[in-house]
Amino acid sequence: MKTAGAVAAPLIVPCSVLGQRAGVVAPSDKVAIAGIGIGSRGLASVNTVLRFEDARFVAVCDLKKGRRELVKKLVDERYETGDCRMYSYHEEVLARPDIDAVLIATPEFWHAPLSVQAACAGKDVFCEKPCSMTIQESRALADAFRRTGRIYQAGTQRRNGPNFVWAVEAARTGKLGKLETVHANVGTYIMWPPVPSKDWLPAEPEPPREEFDWDRWLGPCPWRPYNSFYVSGGGGWTNWYDFHGGGILEWGSHTVDLCQWAADCDETQAIEYVPKGANGAPYQVHCLYPNGVKLVMRDGNNLGKRLPDDGWLGMGSCSVRFEGDSGWVETGDGGKIAVSDDLRGDSPERLSDRLVLDNHWRDFIYCIKTRSQPRANADRACNSHITCHAAYIAFELGRKLTWDPAKQEFVNDAEANRMRSRAVRKPWAI
Amino acid sequence: MRKIEQESPARQKPDGAGSRREKPEIPAEFQAEPIEKLDQAALTRILEEPGSEPAQVFRKAIACKRLAVIGTKESVPALAALLGEDRVSDYARDALESIPDPAADAALREALPRLKGLLLIGAINSIRRRRDANAIEPLGELIQGADVAAAGAAALAVGEISGPVAARMLLRALDTAGKAVRADVAAGALLCADRMMSEDREGALSMLEVLSRPGIPGNVRIPAMHLQVTAAASLSRPRTLPDTK
Repeated sequence: MKTAGAVAAPLIVPCSVLGQRAGVVAPSDKVAIAGIGIGSRGLASVNTVLRFEDARFVAVCDLKKGRRELVKKLVDERYETGDCRMYSYHEEVLARPDIDAVLIATPEFWHAPLSVQAACAGKDVFCEKPCSMTIQESRALADAFRRTGRIYQAGTQRRNGPNFVWAVEAARTGKLGKLETVHANVGTYIMWPPVPSKDWLPAEPEPPREEFDWDRWLGPCPWRPYNSFYVSGGGGWTNWYDFHGGGILEWGSHTVDLCQWAADCDETQAIEYVPKGANGAPYQVHCLYPNGVKLVMRDGNNLGKRLPDDGWLGMGSCSVRFEGDSGWVETGDGGKIAVSDDLRGDSPERLSDRLVLDNHWRDFIYCIKTRSQPRANADRACNSHITCHAAYIAFELGRKLTWDPAKQEFVNDAEANRMRSRAVRKPWAI
Repeated sequence: MRKIEQESPARQKPDGAGSRREKPEIPAEFQAEPIEKLDQAALTRILEEPGSEPAQVFRKAIACKRLAVIGTKESVPALAALLGEDRVSDYARDALESIPDPAADAALREALPRLKGLLLIGAINSIRRRRDANAIEPLGELIQGADVAAAGAAALAVGEISGPVAARMLLRALDTAGKAVRADVAAGALLCADRMMSEDREGALSMLEVLSRPGIPGNVRIPAMHLQVTAAASLSRPRTLPDTK
C-alpha cells in the first residue's frame, strides 16, 4: 500500500469507479507486511495476515534459515507465487520502501529497539508482547510513535476479545456501580519466581554464523556465551534477567492492560505498589491508581495455596476480575464470564471468539489505512507496561514504592529509580 | 491463528512457548548470588581482576549489575577502565549510566578519545542516555569525523541532549556533515526539535520547518511535517516527561 504519510488526508476512491470488481482489492491498496523473527508465536500472525484480502505478506526476516524457508513456503503456497523474499537481517527489510508495516515477533528484548527503529524508518508496527524490557524503553517506544506518527499495535489481542471487552464495558459503563478494585492474573508457573535469574548457562561452541548468528540474536543484550537452550524453542530465553522483563510482565502485559482500560486509566500508571508474599508463597502486588481504583496483581491459582477469601475465582490463563460497589465480573481466556447475582440476567455466560487474533489484526490494518489509533496503541502499551515494570521493581526490592507519573520517577527511592533502565549493547540504542 | 483457550494452572505457559527441553545445570562459576551479596568495595575490586575468559567476564558482569543499583563515584574509575573491554564494556556502561554522580559523565566524556569502533559507539550511546550537555562539543567533533557510524551515533546523541546549542550544531551539520551521516543528523535534529517543544516552542517549530523542506530524508521530513501539524493544532502533548536516568 502506498501511504501518503501522516499529514495527508486519504483520498478514497470506490473501487467501482475504477472499474474493479466489488470485493477485489487493487494491489496498490494492499498493506504490504514483512515479518521479523517468526517462531511459533509469529506464525499465528502470519497465518492471520494470509487470510486478509487487503494485506499481503511480502517478506520474512529471521536469523534461522529453516524458519525463513518455512515461512516463505507457507506464504508462496497461499499466494501461488514465489514472491516472498527472505532476509537474515532486519535492516534490509526496513530499507525497502515498498513495505508498509512489520510484524515483530522476536524474543522480547528486541521488541522495543526494533519497533523504534521501524518507526524511524517509516514503518507501522504490530509487535508481540511484552513490548519493553524497562520503564525507559516503554517511554521511548511511546515517544517514537508519537513523534513519527506511525501506527503501533501491541500484541495484546485480548483488547479485541469479546468476553474481555464485555467485562471492560461493564466496568466502564457503571454496571458494577462505582469501580473499586481490579484484579489481574500475572502468574505463570513457568515464571516462578517472578524475578529472572542473573546466572549464565554453561558455554557451548557457537554454530557457524551462516546457520545462526548468536551475536545478532543477542542484539541489545550484553554479551554472554552461547548455549543452545536459550534459542532452541519453547521460550528458552525467558526467565533470564538479560533477556526477559520478569514474570509479572509475561501475562501482566495482557491483564494489567485490561485492568487499566477497565479502570479508565489508559492514560496513566499506578502510583503505589505494595509487594506481598515471597518465594514459595502466593505472591501479589497491591497497587493504586490515581483515581482511587485498586489493582491487585496476583498469581493465577495462588500456587495451590489458600489465601483469605477475596472472591477470586481464577478462571484460567490471563483472567481478570473487576469489582464495583454493586457488582463484579470475572473472565479469562476460556471465554466464560462470571458475574455477581444482580448481573446474571444481563450477562452472557460465555463469549468466546476463535478469531480474536484476526480481530486484533483487522483493527491494526484498519488504522494503517485511516491513520487512526488502534486499541493497543503505543501510549496504552507504554502505560500498562510501566505499571508492570514498577510492580516488578517493588517485588524485587521487597518494599512499598510510590510512583509519580508526571515526573516518571519513584518518590524518594534512589535504588528503585536506578532500576528504571538498562544499558543497551552497542551499537544498538533506544 | 493461535487458539486461545482456558488452560489449567499446571499447563500455563508464556505466550509462544512450545515444548522446552530441560534446563542445563548452572555451573558454580556462573552463579550470581555469591557476588550479588558483596559490598561496593568488594564489587569494585572484582572489576580490577585480570582475565577475559567467560568466568571472569561473568564476575565483572554481575558486579556491574549490582553497582548499577548501589554504586557511587568511588566505583567510577574501575568501571571506566572497562569501557575498552569488548565483552564487559556494556555491563560497565550499565553501571555508569545509573550512577547519579557527575563523575560518571566525566568518565564517559574522557573515554571518547581513546575508544574506537563499537566501543566508541557504546560510550556515545551512554552519553546519549544521560543527556550530558557538557558532551555536546566533543560529540560535535565526532559528527564531523571520519568514522561514519560514530558520527551518526553522535548526531543522535546530540539530538537527545537537545537544547539551543544542540539545535544550532545539528542544523549546521545538516549542511556540513558528510553525505553518509546526513540521515542521522536529520534524525538527531528531529529528536532535538521534539524535545525542545515543551521548553522552546518557537525554536522547535523553526527547526521542524527546516526539516520539512525538500531534500530532507523522507523518514524525517514526514514526521517533521506531522509534528508541525499537531503542534499547530495544539494536538501535540507537550513532552514534559523527564528521563529515567
